[in-house]
Amino acid sequence: MRATTLRTEQYIVEEEPYYRPVGDEIELFSAAYKNLIPVLLKGPTGSGKTRFMQYMAWRHKRPLITVSCHDDLTASDLVGRYLVKGGETIWVDGPLARAVKSGGFCYLDEIVEARKDTTVVIHPLADDRRILPIEKRGEVLKAPPEFLLALSYNPGYQSVLKDLKQSTRQRFLALEFGYPSRGLETEIIMHESGVGKDIADRLVSFGEKTRNLKDRGLAEGSSTRLLIHAAQLIASGIALSEACRVAISSPLTDDAEMSAALSEIASSIF
Amino acid sequence: MCAAANRQIEKLRENLEANLRLDFMEDDEVKTVFDGIASFDHTLRQKILALCFSLSHASSAFVVSSLARIRKARNVLSLRDTEKWLTNAFDLLDAKGIGPYIKFIADADDEEKLRRFQSPAGLRLHSVLSRIEAFIQGISGMGLRVAPGRTAHTDTEVIYLPAAINLYSSRKENAFVYKLMSVHQWSRIVCKSLMPETDVIRSFVRKQKNHPDIDSIFRAFPEREAAQDLYAIFESIRAERFLTEELPGLMRDAATLRKRMFDERPSIDTLSPLSAAVEVFFQYYLVGRIKGKNPGWWDAAIKKIELLRQEEGPAASFALIAWICEKTRLKGEKYEPCDLGFIGNIRPDKVSSLIRARHAEKKKSYEGMINKLLTVPEIESRKRPEGAKSLQERELRPEEKYLLIKGRIIELDSELREIIDERQGIPGGILVKGSDLGSGSPVTLADLAEEEEAPSTRTGGIPYDEWDFRRSGYRKQWCNLYEHDVHPGQEPFVDMTIARYGPYVRLLRNKFELLKREPRILRRQKDGDDIDIDASVEAFSDRLAGLQPDEDLFIRLDRQERNIAVLFLLDMSGSTKGWVSEAEKESLVLMSEALEALGDRYAIYGFSGMTRTKCDYYRVKGFDEIYSEAVKSRIAGISPKDYTRMGPAIRHSISVLQSVDARTRLFVILSDGKPEDWDAYKGEYAIEDTRKALIEARERGIHPFCVTIDKEARSYLPHMYGESNYTLIDDVRKLPDRITEIYRRLTT
Repeated sequence: MRATTLRTEQYIVEEEPYYRPVGDEIELFSAAYKNLIPVLLKGPTGSGKTRFMQYMAWRHKRPLITVSCHDDLTASDLVGRYLVKGGETIWVDGPLARAVKSGGFCYLDEIVEARKDTTVVIHPLADDRRILPIEKRGEVLKAPPEFLLALSYNPGYQSVLKDLKQSTRQRFLALEFGYPSRGLETEIIMHESGVGKDIADRLVSFGEKTRNLKDRGLAEGSSTRLLIHAAQLIASGIALSEACRVAISSPLTDDAEMSAALSEIASSIF
Repeated sequence: MCAAANRQIEKLRENLEANLRLDFMEDDEVKTVFDGIASFDHTLRQKILALCFSLSHASSAFVVSSLARIRKARNVLSLRDTEKWLTNAFDLLDAKGIGPYIKFIADADDEEKLRRFQSPAGLRLHSVLSRIEAFIQGISGMGLRVAPGRTAHTDTEVIYLPAAINLYSSRKENAFVYKLMSVHQWSRIVCKSLMPETDVIRSFVRKQKNHPDIDSIFRAFPEREAAQDLYAIFESIRAERFLTEELPGLMRDAATLRKRMFDERPSIDTLSPLSAAVEVFFQYYLVGRIKGKNPGWWDAAIKKIELLRQEEGPAASFALIAWICEKTRLKGEKYEPCDLGFIGNIRPDKVSSLIRARHAEKKKSYEGMINKLLTVPEIESRKRPEGAKSLQERELRPEEKYLLIKGRIIELDSELREIIDERQGIPGGILVKGSDLGSGSPVTLADLAEEEEAPSTRTGGIPYDEWDFRRSGYRKQWCNLYEHDVHPGQEPFVDMTIARYGPYVRLLRNKFELLKREPRILRRQKDGDDIDIDASVEAFSDRLAGLQPDEDLFIRLDRQERNIAVLFLLDMSGSTKGWVSEAEKESLVLMSEALEALGDRYAIYGFSGMTRTKCDYYRVKGFDEIYSEAVKSRIAGISPKDYTRMGPAIRHSISVLQSVDARTRLFVILSDGKPEDWDAYKGEYAIEDTRKALIEARERGIHPFCVTIDKEARSYLPHMYGESNYTLIDDVRKLPDRITEIYRRLTT
């Protein structure tokens, strides 16, 4: 078993990722792509934003370059920098520059985590100029029409320090991701984990009930991802209650009372 | 200590023995007494010994008979309860003498009487209340609350559960019973058992009053209590399908409990006919069979019950009760209430009073709106900006609806139109009330005029615009706001709160200090503790490439610089009176403690007022003020005042916040519900103005966040505050705990 090493821009999604559209997001995305409009994916964690990006990259056969943003991410981490190699300096492109050059999809995940001074480097790329200035080299990269910039963020974080600037927001087309409908979510869980309809149904019902507790003790309800995790555990022979506890209740809360209440709900459903 | 106790016991033994022998007891009899005492639990012995010694002064016979009774009591009661019972007996002997004592102790022959000393062992509701509440809120998706009651029942807003459950010995199993109870009460709400459709009610109530409800139906049954219990059983049967679909696990686990309950039920044959008629159905509900002889009508009844399972509404249950009443011809018989265990009881009276309370509230709001209709145009004309047309002069648009009141044409706003559509007209009583208040013209108008005159005595107010959504524009300088200090309170509220929260305050301070000290590595600094390798490599390579190298080559460990200014705006309206106001004040104390530890700049203001010309803005603590005794006494002095005109208070807060220099300006509003003033500032108008004011705040780079304590009104909150810019606290008691957490989340 060996891990394969690929250059960033060579990462092409080969197999069709499983993605079930909730609404008309595929058409909207494709239209935005055609019209060179960058895309902002909004939605709670685990609602399928990243999977959607993979799917769209596959559909349009473009390399997908994902950057998970964090608060130490600098502009040169995105654009590129000079490195010293054997007494010589060489320029190394950052992921954003690579994406522009290769005409790929650049996906900046959790963009609000990045510092605001970092976020602004994408501004010239995200409007009709579609350029990436590389100051150190005195160059400007002009993005080909194949290039697409996408951001994701979770508007549910109520931190005033993690808000997207208006000047950033207003460059994007925003697609909202929510939890899928009951039937769809059941189908997704069945597909992703291989559990039967009955189990998937009940997991969805449990998920809904945890979402009822949002703002009533839980910061957020269970995402589809968590439900899939639980379903996968169940499919591997882990007992239902245990699977729900480790895959859903415990990740959702540290509060002992709330966690106990979630276990009670789980045991009522299964 | 142990030795001393032993000596004491030894001495008691000796004295008792001496007394017994004085009463001519033989050796073997004395031995029996001491063996008897020794047979009790260790912890009881000394007390029994002391009691026997006291009794032995009177007669050795009392000692013997008492020991026998204590044994009986011990057989029935737990150790701790026996001790309680014994103490009671001893106290009686000391206080009232041997007569009452003998009488009391003789009661031990009656197990029922003994059981009164049984403390409600098992599980107490308050120890699991928050968990059960979270459970049922999660299951239901409704903001249902849980509170202790005599039996399990609900008024559709609160689920009442018994204060303790001791059906089982283990905590887990008893907690299961609570779950089962709460879920059954929830099914009453979902299956519309408590609020049947109007046509169902009308078909069962003969005398049609104004607003018949479920209580009116039960009033029609001669044996009301029995009918209610039957209804609880039938509705549980009907709800079974729903519950099994929703919560298959719970219902499966319930089977064991049902069987166990069935085993403990009495035989039908031992009951009075009326009680038996209810009992058969309960037993049938539990396990599908009954103990004792089938009543003659039983086979027909079973068919009807089975049909219930497919029913969508409760009509069939009422019909079945009526059928049973007819079949059994039971009237005026004694009904001994049946203990229905986890399915609980039906309390139509409570549901009815809830409906009535809601109705009264609605009526009040109609009245307010009708008054608004009658008064608004007049106020408008008073200070109409030049060029603007009054409502009468405005062109009437055909698509809007209008109402003709007292010769004036009045435009209806959407909220009112909805109500009028729903009620097919303005409720007569209200209109009469509105116009009867004065002769000719409504008195309310005069009242309002008086209010309007009042401001002439108050000068120096700060004028603020108000948003009128109907005209999509501002009413210029519409409100006058006056800033005052809160009148200092006398009681040491702050100290009391700190004492009350004791260790929690310390914890809170620690938590917030941590927030402050959270170290952070600053890269690319001009100077610092260490070399920034990344920057150095870059500079080096830049130099080799012939570029100007960067000079910021150091890293520095720094405390994250917080540059936050926060203003807390407190709703001081009359509706916060009581719990809400107390909780708000406690929250302020905790928040101040936390912020003092953290070092964020903060200010506290309150607002209230009455009408647009008297908007009061109370200072508790300004940004430049320190958390002094004066501030503390002002916190203590916060008290509910008048109304909630949010707009001007928000706008003034914006200007206060803008005067502070900070990178992040946070604006936290604590409120208990909708904005509302005495005059026309209500409903949609008030919500839209508040929303507009909050948008203004955002436009000026201020982050508003609203913490609202409101049980019912989830619907308008996202619109007014903006999605994810508010949090809802459904239980005011949790506010002080939650507020600091919210602040922490907001600023990290």
